Amino acid sequence: MNVKLKKILALTLSLVMACSLCLTACGNQEESPEPSGETVNVNYGLSNAWDSLMPYYSVSGSNYSRIIYDKIYDRLAYVQADGTCLPRGADSWESADNGYAILFKLNEKAAFHDGTPVTAQHWADTLTLVTDPACEVFGRTFLSGLAGTDDTGAAVAGEKLGVDVVDEYTLKLTFKNPVIPNEFLVDYNREIYVLPTHLLAEVPAAELMTNELWLAPVGSGPCKFVSELAGSNLVLEANENYQLGAPGFDTLTITVMDKANLLTALIAGDLDYYAFGGSVSEENRPIAEEAGFTVLEGTVPATFYELMLNNESISDAKTRQAINLALDKELLCLQSAGSMGFVTNTSILPGTPYSGPAAENAYDLQGAKDLLAESNYAGETLTLACTSARASLAALIQQNLNEAGLNVQIETVDSSTMFAGMYDGTYDMAVASHTPTTLPLWFTASRFTEDNNLFRVADLSYYTQILDMIQQETVEEARVALVDEFEAYLAQEVPFVPLWFYYSLHVQSNTVTGIDYPSSSYCNENVWEWSKGE
Amino acid sequence: MKRKQHPVLKRLLADRKAAFCLAFLALEILLLLILPLFLGQDPNLTDKTAGFWAPPSSEHLLGTDDVGRDILARLLYGGQISLLVGYLSAILGTLLGVPLGLLAGYKGGKWEYWIMRACDTFQAFPSLILVLCLVSLLGPSVWNIILVQGVLGWSSVARLVYGSTLSVKEKEYVEASRALGATDRAILFRTVLPNVIAPVWAAFPMKVGRAILSESSLSFLGVGLRTPQASWGNLMQNALELITLTTRPWAWIPPGLCIVVTVLALLLVGEGLRKALNPRGSR
Amino acid sequence: MKHYIVKRILGAIPVFFGITLIVFLMMNMAPATIADAAGEGEASSAAMRAALEANLGLDQPILVRYFLWLKEVLTGDLGLSYRTGQPVLRMIGQRVSPSLILTGTGVVWAILLGIPLGVLAAWKPRSGWSKLASGLTLFSFSAPSFFLCLIAIFLFSVKLSWFPAANMYSAGAGGDLADLLHHLVLPAAVVCLGSLGNLVRQTSSAVSEVLGEDYIRTARAKGLGEWAVLWKHAFRTALIPVLTTILNHIPHIIGGSMVVERIFGWPGMGSLLFSAVNGRDYTVIMGTTAVVALTVLVTSILMDIVYRLADPGMGWGGDRR
Repeated sequence: MNVKLKKILALTLSLVMACSLCLTACGNQEESPEPSGETVNVNYGLSNAWDSLMPYYSVSGSNYSRIIYDKIYDRLAYVQADGTCLPRGADSWESADNGYAILFKLNEKAAFHDGTPVTAQHWADTLTLVTDPACEVFGRTFLSGLAGTDDTGAAVAGEKLGVDVVDEYTLKLTFKNPVIPNEFLVDYNREIYVLPTHLLAEVPAAELMTNELWLAPVGSGPCKFVSELAGSNLVLEANENYQLGAPGFDTLTITVMDKANLLTALIAGDLDYYAFGGSVSEENRPIAEEAGFTVLEGTVPATFYELMLNNESISDAKTRQAINLALDKELLCLQSAGSMGFVTNTSILPGTPYSGPAAENAYDLQGAKDLLAESNYAGETLTLACTSARASLAALIQQNLNEAGLNVQIETVDSSTMFAGMYDGTYDMAVASHTPTTLPLWFTASRFTEDNNLFRVADLSYYTQILDMIQQETVEEARVALVDEFEAYLAQEVPFVPLWFYYSLHVQSNTVTGIDYPSSSYCNENVWEWSKGE
Repeated sequence: MKRKQHPVLKRLLADRKAAFCLAFLALEILLLLILPLFLGQDPNLTDKTAGFWAPPSSEHLLGTDDVGRDILARLLYGGQISLLVGYLSAILGTLLGVPLGLLAGYKGGKWEYWIMRACDTFQAFPSLILVLCLVSLLGPSVWNIILVQGVLGWSSVARLVYGSTLSVKEKEYVEASRALGATDRAILFRTVLPNVIAPVWAAFPMKVGRAILSESSLSFLGVGLRTPQASWGNLMQNALELITLTTRPWAWIPPGLCIVVTVLALLLVGEGLRKALNPRGSR
Repeated sequence: MKHYIVKRILGAIPVFFGITLIVFLMMNMAPATIADAAGEGEASSAAMRAALEANLGLDQPILVRYFLWLKEVLTGDLGLSYRTGQPVLRMIGQRVSPSLILTGTGVVWAILLGIPLGVLAAWKPRSGWSKLASGLTLFSFSAPSFFLCLIAIFLFSVKLSWFPAANMYSAGAGGDLADLLHHLVLPAAVVCLGSLGNLVRQTSSAVSEVLGEDYIRTARAKGLGEWAVLWKHAFRTALIPVLTTILNHIPHIIGGSMVVERIFGWPGMGSLLFSAVNGRDYTVIMGTTAVVALTVLVTSILMDIVYRLADPGMGWGGDRR
């Protein structure tokens, strides 16, 4: 027995040890991503992982996924922070058919990573595939403006899809309503990519999304795929034949790390740059500057904060107005955005033709109490949902509202639960932030439809009407007047409470030049103009 | 039966380390309950004059946090909650585990088989995963966390009781009771239980300690108790920010130390109890 | 013995089903589904969510989905991740070795440090070794791992700049061994400290029990040197409980340490499971749960066999442990 026992014990122990050593060695080789030494590599940090590498199959539709697709796949244009659009996959574009269509003249030098030139046919086939109802796309509402599609962006059988190949390098998109090309691009450029449809000819639409190709994708963007460790690491190499020029590096290594570690890693030299635009909080700005980095102040606000309201449970407009007055937005802004934020009472960015006069802080505690007394608020507890990142902000909001006489309870949940809860009416309020664009309806157009009545407004008829009118009006002066009317209505009804805009601070890379930091707010980066020394 | 307790208690208190820790734990509970009343700071109120992240001052002994709230007040109130969760989870687990262990050990047969299989199921799992799933399902309230941790803690207690019951049930005094015609329930609770309960007592402080550690880990990760509800775990969340980690040690080190010291005291009491209950046994 | 093994395996099967079913039911009763995770930060429309749910088959009753999943598992297919569309098995495969490296190294260090310390503590009961052993044990049991991580980063990464604070490799610096080791030290040290307590305690109690035995006294009386006594008898016999403790760590090694991986940004199983739970990625949760559960069950069977081999008095009968 003793001998047998000894043998078994010795065997087990050595097995365990051997296994771990073996796998350490194996694991090490597996992780060894790319050759070091002579190649110029840019280290790129990201705080959240992307979904799949198939751009139309992103479950979350998050900006983190989009910023990755932006590298591998090509888009029609490159949108800068102030809303101007530069050529990218398309050289130029113009309005056609009285504003109902856009003609895109494509760049003839564009080619896929396997050498095949990109033609209008590829774009058209991509859009046809993506609008095919049999194709399991996650969210194609961005295509619902195209003629021949329904509200979800799926092609309607029997109707002609508004996608045409005029000649080899000219693509024509036709819409249900008149569209201003620049506005179309500002709104949707970040969602539209061209796929290598010549490689997908044999694949049925239903299997398109899970096809093996996406494990090692082929696109026509400024970077080519090399390897991926899902959720953690992505290695790309420069596309030397990119139509706007080859990126000034050999490889781009994208690593996912906790948000709090991005700045540390940049300072330590582990990273050259991190998305989005090297943004840093005001608190951490001195740390970056002391470490020898220049911090750039953004000129266009990159974030919009709002308090979502459940118009069904908070049914009296007076209660909602009271909430608006009870919030000390300056204090809230100070807590959350430091000196880089400014209070707003509208979702429209300042400095556009549609912006109204500058906002004054409407904080009026007495006014709030008076309004509350007149309203039908009967002392019930309102739930305020927020994500853990905004928990501190929510606590301050709760205090403000308590002072005015509202009972508020905070629920800290994750992002998806929060939106789901606002959507089905579980919560009464929620704090959220979004990336604004320069268009006046960037926030409101999608949130007051029957299909997506996020604020649970009882009667959407006014909203539907005014939004339609604004979208169909092409004369700017008349549009401005309509938008003003809409804004006045919003100020009266307060379906949501705009809080503030926030300018980003960008930590500039000391090793890579040519980076256009602020444009990352439109989920695109000009990697073809980046250059790393040596 | 009552006489049995006193010698144990005497032995426990005679052990200096254990006695000291016991006193410490009692004092801690007292302090956590009384100090906040004396200091009078509200753990959820923003002090607008002090501002955000104010360093320690006479006004705020541990400074203010990112919402301008007094950190010391949050530490004290958070301590109340952390301890509450710890103790109640352990009690709940014990209350569930003891009867099940007794049943499995005494009745045997199908009872034994299924209860032990259930024990395996629950113990097989790294509990953090199960707690994580359950809490995200039920919602992160204090009572839910107590419930989840308590319910998941029954298996270790049950196994202990089961083992002891197996050996006790063959003893003569049990046979004697049976011969005298006592019902199974009477035997279980009057004869068997008092003789198998010792290891449960000995393991109890450690159980509390584990519950406190588990809750604080969850709260730190953001899936347990969430702000604005303070807990020792989530008070340290801010330390994930570089600037707080490096320049504001007063904000995150105290809660951590509190946890370490409390669990340490619980451990030592547990060891003392073990020795007191089993004076002739080995370490 | 064979009969016993078969019986144990059969007994483990309902446990496996039990665990996976519980986790499956729990995740499916959660208030938000993956469809709600879509459109994070943007408004998501009802139609889109409904379409999403239909796509992912989330509109079928729970038990049906559970058995469908089970059927796939039995054919070795753990499904596709809802979030990334990649095969779950592949994702787990990629993540297992980082966890193995991190937690494995931590546990190996704990073994290399803990066993000698435990032996020394038992051999010389009132010496400095014994005090060190009990001190370390207590600290190991009472310090929460996330606190240890923060202290480690604070001291060694920020203040002293000896080690990096995050990730497995310096981003893109070429995955060489030196870089890996550099990044490995801090998190593995935390894992080591966490496992040390149990190991030291088990070793020292096992060894001291053996040292008190009659046959040891006999051996000493016969004139055997201290080293010989220690090595030939105490060490070997004490190895059994120690081995069971080590085997106990295997599921932990495979499953990864969620907290440590999360704080250090280590791409292992622990952080995979954590993001999957937060992101409601059911297939990944189920797949990881299944893998960890399987490991735990296999290990416990192994442990039981070793235990019974070591203690002939236990026999191959029922459940006595």
